Amino acid sequence: MNNTTLILGNGSCAGIVAENLLTAGAKIIIATKDDICNFGGSTDTVALQILTQARFILCKGSVGNFRIHGTQKNKPIAIDAGRIIIAEEDQRTPNFSLYGLNGSSNVITLSQMKHLLKDSSSEKTILSEIKKVVFLSGLVKESTPIIAKDVMLSSLSLQKDFNIKTYILTKNLKVAGDGLESLYRDTKNAGTIYIKFTDAAPDIHQNEEDPVRIEFFDEITSKNFRLTPDMTVVDESIVPSEYASDLAKIFDIEIDVSGFVQADNVHRYPVLTNRKGIMVAGPSRSIQDVDDQRIDAENAALAVTGFSGEEIKAKAEKAQVHDGQCIRCLTCYRLCPYHAITLNSRVAVMPEACERCGICAAHCPRHAVCIADLKPEVISALVGTGSNIKTQTTFVPFIVAFCCRRSAAQARDLAICMGHNLPLGLRVVEVPCSGALSYDHIFGALGNNADGVMVLTCHKGNCHSGQGNIYADQTVAQIREMFSRIGFEKERLLIQTLASNMGAEFARIAGRFEETITKLGPSRLKKNK
Amino acid sequence: MADKNVLIIGGGVAGLSAAVELADLDIRVELVEKSNFPGGHAIGYACKAIHNTCVRCGACMVEEKLQRAVSHPNINIMTGTQVQDIFKNNRFSVSIRQEPLYIDPQKCTDCGLCSNRCPVDGAILQSFSKNNHPFYAVNKEKCRYFKNRSCTICFDDCPEAAIDLDKTASEHVIEADAVLIAAGFQPFNPKSKPYGYGRFKNVVTALELENILKRSGGVKKPSDNKLAQKMAFIQCVGSRDTKLNHLWCSKVCCGSALRMARLIRERQPETEVTFFYIDVQTFGKDFEQVYREVREDIRMIRAIPADIYETEDQRLKVNFVNHPLHETREDIFDLVVLSVGITPGEDIGTLSRIFEVDPDEFGFLKGGGTGMPVSKNGVFTAGTVQGPMSIPDAIAAAGSAVWGIIQYLKR
Repeated sequence: MNNTTLILGNGSCAGIVAENLLTAGAKIIIATKDDICNFGGSTDTVALQILTQARFILCKGSVGNFRIHGTQKNKPIAIDAGRIIIAEEDQRTPNFSLYGLNGSSNVITLSQMKHLLKDSSSEKTILSEIKKVVFLSGLVKESTPIIAKDVMLSSLSLQKDFNIKTYILTKNLKVAGDGLESLYRDTKNAGTIYIKFTDAAPDIHQNEEDPVRIEFFDEITSKNFRLTPDMTVVDESIVPSEYASDLAKIFDIEIDVSGFVQADNVHRYPVLTNRKGIMVAGPSRSIQDVDDQRIDAENAALAVTGFSGEEIKAKAEKAQVHDGQCIRCLTCYRLCPYHAITLNSRVAVMPEACERCGICAAHCPRHAVCIADLKPEVISALVGTGSNIKTQTTFVPFIVAFCCRRSAAQARDLAICMGHNLPLGLRVVEVPCSGALSYDHIFGALGNNADGVMVLTCHKGNCHSGQGNIYADQTVAQIREMFSRIGFEKERLLIQTLASNMGAEFARIAGRFEETITKLGPSRLKKNK
Repeated sequence: MADKNVLIIGGGVAGLSAAVELADLDIRVELVEKSNFPGGHAIGYACKAIHNTCVRCGACMVEEKLQRAVSHPNINIMTGTQVQDIFKNNRFSVSIRQEPLYIDPQKCTDCGLCSNRCPVDGAILQSFSKNNHPFYAVNKEKCRYFKNRSCTICFDDCPEAAIDLDKTASEHVIEADAVLIAAGFQPFNPKSKPYGYGRFKNVVTALELENILKRSGGVKKPSDNKLAQKMAFIQCVGSRDTKLNHLWCSKVCCGSALRMARLIRERQPETEVTFFYIDVQTFGKDFEQVYREVREDIRMIRAIPADIYETEDQRLKVNFVNHPLHETREDIFDLVVLSVGITPGEDIGTLSRIFEVDPDEFGFLKGGGTGMPVSKNGVFTAGTVQGPMSIPDAIAAAGSAVWGIIQYLKR
């Protein structure tokens, strides 16, 4: 196993990860697409290798043995690493267009204002001629505490250091960050005027180099106002960098709605991805301030330490591909959420990357992929035949519930603890992921005398295997459609989502399903009617 | 690092996450929890998924961390336990006091008979998680046996003879190489606010609403157990408050309240929801869309009500100024939820004295620097003891503290 960690990035988060790992005695490679690496100068040591002007195009292998191909200074390179940490910077895009403005000498971005305040005294002369500054923030798109902090700090400095009158026009002031409510009070005490809009928005007019004219109705005083500031500062949106988005594709990592390099899935927080051994930290994965970045960096360092050789050793019951059956249709390769299938001379599973979700086995059209303990006959044995259900005077339906081990199966246990009555004829069969369920499993249960089958999965966006619950949903929808066509009651097959902490809801769903099945009566597929 | 051990104070999500991370690295963990059940406030939070879709509140993560912690061979969890004092040489010698487990976990089968038969409301406590075993605990404050020995029903009726009410508290000394304070927060007590909390049955806190939703999956009026037609959330109760010198936003309440509001709207559409707020804080990565949907479905009023009166039929009259419309209004609600703020824990003074960690200006234990959990003397902090944070943030803070602890132990 390779013990080197490759860190991608050149910002403060990448720097903190590197520093932490070096202190802890790890071997690292830092790679940046930039000309100069901001971390530790440029000297390589035994523990540290620095690559500048490095871009990657392809990643092979899996945790412990990645091989990453790319170019450095336009020459091809290949790097071997055991783990990878993506810690690229984000980027800010100005919101001029949201306000109908164009950047000019008196309409600038928040970053430009920060620059003016930070820079040499010569540039500060611009500020010395100014009397009134308006900040436009979060008026069209909702803002974030990171931007609100920059707005308030800039405003405070303008008021205090330059005696410039400042106005902050916003909708919801984002103070959900450390120290921001205090900062808000400080800016108000220093003289900043806040104008907050609830449903309305100000009218903003720009005529070439004239001062921007802002007209609005103030909700507190019920009066119309007009502001003509010497300078208008426009807020920014924080978005992932293009290179970070490229890296998500290269490494086959799930992204969120805005394109940040991590699925918006609580099981991945803080720094994990769908790929074992590839972590993502800092502004690559979400909008973060400096403290968040430090916390991410330390979590990434911890995650690297956590992958001991012991843990990733191959275990027997992982997915396996039988060559004789495989026709290389690549279904497994496309569906595997963990990128655990390789395509060298033949299709194979990388056992160290396989998480045993069973999605590949359930969807292989040739039954060429299998996981020993998820085989239809093994599951069928767990389902039983309902013969243990005590006969009552009335019909007791045999109900099979295929439950995701992490969610619905836990909810069942909670329901029992809470004292809820569950159906007498309920048989719960745990599966590692509902995505592991195939036609064989569901028809197997019906063939084993089940009067009804429930598939209980995680909520969308909460699946450990990314899309396993979606695949289960599709499988169930197809079978129900088939039932409708052949005149079999589709109500006998139900899919619902649950979380591990939903005991009351588990009991309710099971109870309601029992009612439905009781009304329908025994299944026609039952052998011992 | 099998020869090292770490004392964790507090069994909430931060303490549990840190315990699991340390234990996975083969470090022994002694976790002390002052309440009867590990899991912290958040183990009582409901899953707030709607449209079959996760809303990323993180409540299920607490369940997962608790499950891993209680079954981990390297973790020893002591409930009903508080730290008394420490002595530090090279390691820490920490003296602790542990209230007895009146219900023996070895014998108890979580059958619930004690709870069903107990004649006093609240004398047998029920946990929120099946990962708490025993699922029940005896509440000394309410139990008649501890008052005047007048009742022994649970003891007499327990089919497993698992209950012993004569056990006494014990004191021990734990040796530890490092200490993590993850003692959590205290929800703001809204009794001092003119909202009738504690007097009007239909005024509850957001935390209580979380618990109600977790236990029953829906919400009714506490006064008559009937469906509430009109319900209101009041934000920033005890947060962003100059009079109280609470100059902080509690960060999580907008997300928690609006997620609960949406869940209630989905499950019981007859219940109309009004949301009183100062500024809606961004939560979640899909906030823009969520906020759009919220504004279509929930009446949003940018005002914090002045006070609440109870009408004769136990409804609630809420006074507020609706600024954009420039009117003073009196609206009637059936149920009012107060989004109480995150405030420093009640034992923070004791902990900061014992472990010599200075509180910040508002009374939270940052542990040195802004948000720095790393300390030179082997004492670390994580979670809401550091200040307001969400469940995912508390998990991240725990990871960061664990990294600091490992470096400290290797020194």
